[in-house]
Amino acid sequence: MYNFDFARPDTLQDAQAALRADDAQALGGGQTLIPTLKQRLAAPAILVSLTAIPELKGICLADDGRLCIGGATTHATVAREAAAHYPALAQLAGNIGDPAVRNRGTIGGSLANNDPSACYPAAVLASGATVITDRQEVAADDYFQGMFATALGEGEIITEVRFPVPQAANYQKFVQPASRFALVGVFVARFAHGVRVAVTGASEGGVFRWHKAEAALGDDFRAEALGDLAVEADGMIGDLHGTPEYRAHLVRVLTGRAVTAAA
Amino acid sequence: MTVAKPLPHDAALLHVTGQARYVDDIPAPVGTLHLAFGLSAVAHGRITGMDLDAVRAAPGVVAVLTAEDLPFANDVSPGAHDEPLLADGTVHYVGQPIFLVVAETHLAARKAARLGRITYEELPALLTIDQALAADSRFESGPRIWSRGDAAAAIAIAPRMIEGTMEIGGQEHFYLEGQAAFALPQENGDVVVQSSTQHPTEIQHKVAEALGLPMSGVRVEVRRMGGGFGGKESQGNALAVACAVAARATGRPCKMRYDRDDDMVITGKRHDFRISYRVGYDDQGRVQGIEFLHLVRCGWAMDLSLPVADRAMLHADNAYFLPHVRIESHRLRTNTQSATAFRGFGGPQGIVAVERVMDHIAHTLNRDPLEVRQANFYAPDGSQSTPYGMRVTDSIIGDLAARLAETSDYHARRRAVAEWNATNPVLKKGIALTPVKFGISFTLSHLNQAGALVHVYQDGSIHLNHGGTEMGQGLFQKVAQVAAAGFGVDISRVRISATDTGKVPNTSATAASSGSDLNGMAVKAAVDTIRQRLAEMLAQEHQCAPADVHFADDRVTVGGADYTFEEVIHRAYTQRISLSATGFYKTPDLSWDRIKGQGRPFFYFAYGAAVSEVVLDTLTGESRILRTDILHDVGASLNPALDIGQVEGGFVQGAGWLTTEELVWDDKGRLRTHAPSTYKIPACGDRPRVFNVALWDGPNRADTIYKSKAVGEPPFMHGISVLMALSDAVAACGPDYPALDGPATAERLLRAVRRQVGHEL
Amino acid sequence: MNITLRVNGESHDLDLDPRVSLLDALRHHLHLTGTKKGCDHGQCGACTVLLNGRRINACLTLACMHDGDDITTIEGIGADGLTPLQQAFIEHDGFQCGYCTPGQICSAVGMAEELRQGWPSHVTDDLTADPELTRDEIAERMSGNLCRCSCYPGIVNAIRQSLGEQA
Repeated sequence: MYNFDFARPDTLQDAQAALRADDAQALGGGQTLIPTLKQRLAAPAILVSLTAIPELKGICLADDGRLCIGGATTHATVAREAAAHYPALAQLAGNIGDPAVRNRGTIGGSLANNDPSACYPAAVLASGATVITDRQEVAADDYFQGMFATALGEGEIITEVRFPVPQAANYQKFVQPASRFALVGVFVARFAHGVRVAVTGASEGGVFRWHKAEAALGDDFRAEALGDLAVEADGMIGDLHGTPEYRAHLVRVLTGRAVTAAA
Repeated sequence: MTVAKPLPHDAALLHVTGQARYVDDIPAPVGTLHLAFGLSAVAHGRITGMDLDAVRAAPGVVAVLTAEDLPFANDVSPGAHDEPLLADGTVHYVGQPIFLVVAETHLAARKAARLGRITYEELPALLTIDQALAADSRFESGPRIWSRGDAAAAIAIAPRMIEGTMEIGGQEHFYLEGQAAFALPQENGDVVVQSSTQHPTEIQHKVAEALGLPMSGVRVEVRRMGGGFGGKESQGNALAVACAVAARATGRPCKMRYDRDDDMVITGKRHDFRISYRVGYDDQGRVQGIEFLHLVRCGWAMDLSLPVADRAMLHADNAYFLPHVRIESHRLRTNTQSATAFRGFGGPQGIVAVERVMDHIAHTLNRDPLEVRQANFYAPDGSQSTPYGMRVTDSIIGDLAARLAETSDYHARRRAVAEWNATNPVLKKGIALTPVKFGISFTLSHLNQAGALVHVYQDGSIHLNHGGTEMGQGLFQKVAQVAAAGFGVDISRVRISATDTGKVPNTSATAASSGSDLNGMAVKAAVDTIRQRLAEMLAQEHQCAPADVHFADDRVTVGGADYTFEEVIHRAYTQRISLSATGFYKTPDLSWDRIKGQGRPFFYFAYGAAVSEVVLDTLTGESRILRTDILHDVGASLNPALDIGQVEGGFVQGAGWLTTEELVWDDKGRLRTHAPSTYKIPACGDRPRVFNVALWDGPNRADTIYKSKAVGEPPFMHGISVLMALSDAVAACGPDYPALDGPATAERLLRAVRRQVGHEL
Repeated sequence: MNITLRVNGESHDLDLDPRVSLLDALRHHLHLTGTKKGCDHGQCGACTVLLNGRRINACLTLACMHDGDDITTIEGIGADGLTPLQQAFIEHDGFQCGYCTPGQICSAVGMAEELRQGWPSHVTDDLTADPELTRDEIAERMSGNLCRCSCYPGIVNAIRQSLGEQA
C-alpha cells in the first residue's frame, strides 16, 4: 500500500471538509477499496471513512412511498430492514459476497465504485432510483457512466439512495463462483407505467438497461414474452470466468427467470 | 486397546482455541528479518540487465541477494539439480525468483522487491502441451512406454472399437496456510530451520548444500502445517534455503512467507494431462485391448514429474483388468510453474481416463456404466495381474461396489433419474458409480522406510517422535494411538512432539499416503523394544517368560503380581534399564523397474467406490451434487473418525478438481487465476446435499500396522463420480457421448448441452 | 496514528501506521496469532473476528478504522473454559489442519448472534420469517469461511449441535 493519512469524521460537514484535500478518497466499508489499496491500484493521500457518520446510515420509507437508504448503510442492514418494503432489493443485498462482507460493505461504497460486476447497480438502474449526494440528485439513468465511471465528482459523497418501489421485481444472479460477484445479474422491475430491466456483470460498458426486453415485457409481463430476444455477444465481457457468448446467453436466461419469479 | 478408537486430532483443543502454532505464529526473536523474492515477468528469457539500486535504497532493506551472491549451491530442486533458488541468467516461467530482498519487515521486503528493474531478451516460450510436443521439449529422452500383450492387434480384432481424448486440468493446492519458513543462526555456522514442509529431511539436505554444511549442521523442525496436499513436499525448499542463506549473510534470524498471490504464482500445481485412448471391446463392454497416450505438462523443472507421470501410468488400469495394454507417456517441459506433487500424485489423472473409457463404452452399448465397470473389475481370486505385471491378490472391488450399489439404492435411483429426465426439460439429473484401486507405497522403493524415537521418562510419561509430519491428516494421533496400545496405556500419557531431523534422521516425505503405514510401524518397533526390556526385567523377577508379562489399562501384570505402569518404569529406571529406543521399518516385498514398467511397486492396494447424483441446469450449466455415498476400504481402521474425515475431505477436493477449480494462463504464460477471487475451491455449500460415508469392514491382507490401510490419497478419486454423473446428465440431453473434459465448469457443461441439441453456444 | 483497540475486553493503546490492517495489528502488534492470514484479500475467512459482535474479515479493514471498537478474536472465545461450540467442533471433527478453525469458530459465533437477532440470509425463503437451521441455511451463512481440507460435514454438524443446545 502507498502511504496515506486517515480521517474518520462523525459529521457530513467534517467529511466534506476532509475530502477537499488533494487526492482525498472516501472510504465506505472498504470491502473493495482496501483490497484495491493492497494491490496498489489506488493511491489516495488521505482516506476519509464515512462509517462513523450517523446521518448516512439507515433505511426509511418516505412520504412519497420511496425507500430511502443512507449511503453508509451496510448490505446486511438492507437485507434485513428493506425486506418488508422492497423484498427483491433486500434479497439482492443479502446475496452480496458473504456474511462478513455484508456486515461491512455499504450501498454508497458499491455505487461510488460501480464495479461492472457489482449487484447494486442493477437494482438502482432497474428501479429508476435516485442517487443523492452532498451536491446533487442524479437519476440512475444518468448516474452510471461505464465501468467504474459515475456522475460523481471529486470528493462527492453519496448520502442516500431513493428507490421507487415497483409492483413486482426480482433479481437473478449467476455468481462467479470464486468471488461471488455477478458473472451476470439481471434485475427486473415492473411499475405501473412500464418495466425496467437492468443487467450487471455482463457488459464492457458496465450496468445497462435492456430496452428491447423492457418493451416486450411492458406489453406482456411473462417470460414467454421475451420470445427469441437476445443480447448481442459483441460488447459483452470476455474473461477467464466466461466468454461473451456465455454471458449473452445468461442475460436472456436470467431475465426470463427474473420475470417468472417476479410475476 | 487404544487403536481403532475415534479420537479427535491430537491438537484439537489447541485448534479450537487458536493456540495451535504454525510457522508464522512462532514468536520471532528481536531483530528477525523478513524476505521476499523479486520475480520474473516473462515466461522465458535471458536476463540482460538487473538494476537493483532502488531495491537496495528502499526503506528497511538490509540486503539484496542475486545468484552471484550465493555462497554454495544455488539449487532447490528435489533431485535433478535443475532448479536454482535464484535465476542464473535465464528465466523459465513468469514468477521465477530472480533476486532476494532481506528487510526489516515483511511489507518492506515486498515493497522493495517491486522496485527491481530487470531487462530480458525474451525467448520463445512453450506454454502448452502442443507447443512442447512440437518443439520436442521434454524430460527424459523420449516417451516411457509400458505394455503387455499386443494392444493394437487386440483392438483390431475386437468386435467394437472407440477412441477419444480427454483434457484434464491441473489444480492449485490452496493449503490455507501459505508456504513459510524461519531460520535461526546457531554458533559455529549451524542453523535451525522451522519450515512448513512435508519433507524435513529434504529441507535439511537443501539447506546444507546451500550453506556448504554437512547435514549434521542443519536441524529442521516441523510441528504442523496448515494443509499440505503434496504442495509442501518440495515447494518449501526455496523459502527455507532463502532464509538460511540470508541468515548466514546477515547473522540474524530470517523469516519468509509467501503472500497468497505470490504463492500461487511461484509454486507448482497438479500436472495437467491430455490423455487419448483407443479401446477394443466386446458386446458386454469387456476390454480386449487398450492404448493410452499420456501427454503431461510438467512445467519448467523436473521436480517430481517423473514419478508423478509414472504413477499416472500405474493407475491407467484403476480397478480393471486390461488384458492387452499399451501406455505411452510424454513428460513435457513447458515455461510454466514446475508442476509438483498433489494428493494422488498422478493417480487421479490416470484413473479419470480409464473411467472415461468405461463410461464411453457403456454409452455406445446403451448399457448401465456400472455393468460395464463390473464386467471389467479385477477378479477376487488373484488370477489377474496389472499391466505392469503385479498380481492383484487383494481385490475386493467387486464385492465392495456391489455392496455400495445396494446401500446407496443405485439401481432404483438410476431408474428414478431416467424418469425425472423424461419429464423435466430444464433440470437434468445424472448418477454414476466409480471405483478406486490405489497402489500404496512410494514407487521409488528405497523411500519406503521410516524411523521413530520413543522415550519413557521416570514418571511414566512417554515422549514420541517419528519422521512423519502433521498436516491435518491426523497422523500424530494415529501414531500416538499405536504407541499407547503398545504400552497398554492411556493416550493421554503420550506426548507428541514436533518432527525434528535431530531426533529421527533420513526420513522420507510424508507423502504417498504412507504416513501411518511407515511411521506407525517404526513407532511400534521402538515401543516393542522398550516393552521387551520391561517384560524381560519382570519375567526374570517372576521366573516366567517375557510373553507372560501383560501390558493393559495402564497396568502391567505378571504371574500373580499387578503393577501400575509408573511402578514398572520406576523399577526399570533404578535397575538401569534403558527406557529409550529407536524404531525402524522398511516395507517388505517391493521390486520395481520403472524403465521396463515391470515389478511389484506396491505393498497392497486400497479400494473404494462412490455413487454421486447431480442435477444440471441445462439453461445455465450450473450443477449441484445432490447426494454422494462412499464405501471406502481403510482395512482395520486405526481411527474411524479421522479416516472418515479423510474420505469426506478427499472426495470434496477431488470433486472440486473436476468441477470448479480451473487454472488459466494467458498467452504470455501469466497465471491469471492467482487469488481466491479467481480460483474457486469448494465452499461449505458445495458439499453434497446428502453425504453418506462408510468404511469397508475387512482388515488389510498385507501385514500393515494393526491391519489398517493408508487413507490420505485414495478417497480423492471418489470425486470422479461427480464428473461421470455430470456426463450422465448431459447424455440425457441428446444422442451423443458428452466427452466432458475436466474441470467441467458451468460454461463447459452448457456448451456440452448445447452440442447435444445441435445449437453451439 | 494513535488509536485504542478493545480486544477481548482489554484496551490497547497503539501507535500504528494507518495502512496497518486490523489483522496485522492483531498478529504483529498484539501478538494474537490465533487469527490467521489465509489470503489477505477477504476471500477465505481465516481472519474472521467479531467487531462489536458482528463478524468481519480482519484483513479487509484497517486498524485505524476501529478506534474505540470492541473486537473479539479466537483468544477471547472460551478463555474461561470451552464454549459448547468449541466442544462441538472437537466432537464432530470440524477440522483437519486447523488453520481455518479460529475463523470458522468466530464466524459461527457471529452467525449464531445474527440468527438470534433474526438477520436473514438469501436462502431464507420468507425474508421476514425466522430463519430455520437447515444445512443449506448454515452453508450459506458460513459461505465466507473456506476449509481446504473440506471438513464441511463436521463443521456443519458442530454448528447445528451447538445451536441446538443454545435453543
